[in-house]
Amino acid sequence: MGRSLSPPVDAPVAPATLARALEAVVGPRGVLQRSGELLVYTADALPGYRKVPSLAVFPSTREQLVSVVRVLAEYRAPFVPRGAGTGLSGGALADGVVLLGLNRLRRILALDADNAIAVVEPGVVNAALSRAAAPFGLYYAPDPSSQAACTIGGNVAENAGGPHCLKYGVTLNHVLGLTAILPDGEIVTLGPGASGGEPTGYDLLAAFVGSEGCFGVALDVTVKLTRTPDAVRTLLADFPHLVDAARATSAIIAAGILPAALEMMDGPTIRAVEASVYAAGYPTDVDAVVLAEVDGRTAGLDADARTIAQLCTDHGARTVRVASDPIERARLWQGRKKAFGAMGRISSHLVVQDAVIPRTRLPDVLVRIRQIAAQHGVSVCNVFHAGDGNLHPNIPYHGDDPDERARVGDAMREIMRTCVDAGGTITGEHGVGLDKLEYMDLIFSPDSLAAQCRLRDVFDPSRRANPGKVVPIRYCRESVTRPRNPGPA
Amino acid sequence: MTGVHERDAARTSGGWAPDSVEAVQDAVRDAAAKRSPIRIVGLGTWLDAGHPTSPDAHPLRLSALQGITQYTPGDLTLTARAGTPLAAIESATASEGQWLPLDPYSVAEHGGSLGATIATASAGPLGHALGLPRDIVLGVEAVTGDGSIVRGGGRVVKNVAGFDLTRLLTGAWGTLGVLTEVTVRLRGRPACDETLAIVRHQPRVARGRAAGGTEAVQDLVHALRAAPATPIALELLNRRLASQLELPGADDGLVVLARLAGNSERVAAERAALTAVGEVTDVAPAVWGALRRAEAVTEGAVAVLRWSQLPALLAATWGHAAAACEPFPDALVHASIARGIVRAIIPQADAALLAAAIADDAARGRSGHGSVDARAPGRFTGTCIPERLPARLWGAMVSRATDDPLSRRVRRAFDPAHVLNPGLLGEGGAFD
Repeated sequence: MGRSLSPPVDAPVAPATLARALEAVVGPRGVLQRSGELLVYTADALPGYRKVPSLAVFPSTREQLVSVVRVLAEYRAPFVPRGAGTGLSGGALADGVVLLGLNRLRRILALDADNAIAVVEPGVVNAALSRAAAPFGLYYAPDPSSQAACTIGGNVAENAGGPHCLKYGVTLNHVLGLTAILPDGEIVTLGPGASGGEPTGYDLLAAFVGSEGCFGVALDVTVKLTRTPDAVRTLLADFPHLVDAARATSAIIAAGILPAALEMMDGPTIRAVEASVYAAGYPTDVDAVVLAEVDGRTAGLDADARTIAQLCTDHGARTVRVASDPIERARLWQGRKKAFGAMGRISSHLVVQDAVIPRTRLPDVLVRIRQIAAQHGVSVCNVFHAGDGNLHPNIPYHGDDPDERARVGDAMREIMRTCVDAGGTITGEHGVGLDKLEYMDLIFSPDSLAAQCRLRDVFDPSRRANPGKVVPIRYCRESVTRPRNPGPA
Repeated sequence: MTGVHERDAARTSGGWAPDSVEAVQDAVRDAAAKRSPIRIVGLGTWLDAGHPTSPDAHPLRLSALQGITQYTPGDLTLTARAGTPLAAIESATASEGQWLPLDPYSVAEHGGSLGATIATASAGPLGHALGLPRDIVLGVEAVTGDGSIVRGGGRVVKNVAGFDLTRLLTGAWGTLGVLTEVTVRLRGRPACDETLAIVRHQPRVARGRAAGGTEAVQDLVHALRAAPATPIALELLNRRLASQLELPGADDGLVVLARLAGNSERVAAERAALTAVGEVTDVAPAVWGALRRAEAVTEGAVAVLRWSQLPALLAATWGHAAAACEPFPDALVHASIARGIVRAIIPQADAALLAAAIADDAARGRSGHGSVDARAPGRFTGTCIPERLPARLWGAMVSRATDDPLSRRVRRAFDPAHVLNPGLLGEGGAFD
């Protein structure tokens, strides 16, 4: 016990030999090595980082995936699992190591409408699962903005959220079980899964969900499906003052209503959206809009919508309108869901930030963010999940201007510190990845970070899965778990 | 205040009563250095369960670690020290029109401690709709077995920063760390909150047999699923329990206790919808407290067991539990319809009789899930969890919950000296 491990991250890898071994599993078309082919895998959806993998491997079946992970173990090769590459934290970037693409594993293995459960391969696209469940009056509730492209495996890795997580919960609340292959090739079953029954023992399923690809690779995921609501009411309230909008959202939650979603966009965001092809009809002369949605059984839904409208008016809303049909509803949401894309029109680059603060701190933190932006001469577009205090302060900028790039970086760091000082956290749904590593010790003590490393070492004692992400390596003491023999089983 | 003094005093009688996280840290370090096992005790409510740890384990009592340390009503979050009784949280939040919807079964009026509820991941009737402990807990502070003070999560309602120590410690029964502080999310109290008893009269054919027959349960569950209502609690009760709770119609057959919440329009509509299921009567909300403490009013040696499998198989699970309870006519049985869990309180449980009744479950062990096709008709393949057993039966119901290699590695990583509640969650931590 307590023996030190030599991190094989530094171990020499013979790419040509490894590539041949992987090709033997997935065929030559399943391995990419040329720099031109790898180009698309050098970034995820977060701009500003570019890392080139040593090679990329794409298994098409569960058996191939198992074999690939075991070959990687045999070669002691570090690797980075990747779903659709829509992540916003740089978590799926492979810096000179193997990139393990899971997007070809896209079969829905089972759909049990009676128990509202589906079993899927990790590469199944989030929206595709909801489409498959729709004929049964069911859908998959977590709805990250990238849901048309992102995969369930990626959602599990990041514990992804989305606007409707306010009422329905994040990915963790919808995963009932999974089978995973650990980096050394061991296959484990976590959670009760489709067999049902209360879980017993440690909640290793919850530990795995949100582990950002550092604990292993999911072979299959069992998720809970949600009953399609009988009815939906979507409201848009516009506010001349941002802080009033923030106070209104707090008042709605405090009233005992749990909206399906409670979103907010500030003036700069509204104007970016309205100037784009995603124009949703938001008034452009206001400081903020609140988008609120209630859903569920039809009875009582209009009463909840009236209460929300009244609370908005009481808190200074200029007008409140209720979407009158599904088309208008979709249009109102389109503006919110495509807000990041619309900001892309302003400048060549966009920093999409993610932080959470206690909801009551929204008004003063928003004011502070505006001050910080002004001090650094940058413009911030705020779009966020107001209901749970999850902010996305985004800064459009010109990436080829080093001075502007530096000012954006400084402003972002100050914004993050402001959120932490307000009692918040550094990421609510995008994950730590590479991008938030520098902030981890703002919120966790060295002992807490060391404990996180201990947990990682339980799943991956050789520290080969997604190396260098989530917890800064300086906090990782020597492994206290016994080293096991890596290698093919 | 009296922490150090008490701690020293307590130590002479072989235990600790720390009143700060640092004092907990001292105790754990001391125990780890001596490899002397600790039995973590919240408010002592659950110790009656007769569950043995090592006979030489010294109690670490958290009853001095009490109090709400942070509560901003507008944030709907609350932080309290681990020994804080749930009743104290209930009264602090009620004045703000809020609540913590954790309602674990407990023999104590104070509802047990927050720390124990999270450490054991205990949930009650509200769990299916308002969240289980893992969904409600936002952050924890704990002392791990190596004596480190660690924090997981935070005080915000959405948080994916770092690896999830919070949920690792939730439901770990203290075997990975002693919880010292917990942050939870609260909810606003609904405008209307009504409790109903629904009595569904049995078709004549079924009436001859036990009212708890699986066909009757199946029929009832179908009817409930078809009704356009989403109760926040929905419990099926056997006749004996319904009559202990003095519910109307208890003599007639199956009784369902439903709790409806929301605005008045919604509650009225859902209530109307449920009249299609059976005869509906209003019940005072105090019935939920009486259900939570149902085992407290029974006498004699009590056993409490939970069986669970997929919710769609509830009738079969109920049938399995009914069969196990057949030698015990006084058994109080209820089921969470949405979660597929059947819970039986067996008073005067003769150990030998009980051992025979649950022999199958014992043979399968407590980690029964996952291995067999749950859809094989009629055969119970789910999980059986004993909450409370006559002392000598624990040996027969050995937990295998942490026997798998991964769990053993977790235990070793967080409790390297194997001193935290050894034996409580299986022997998985007993290192070779």
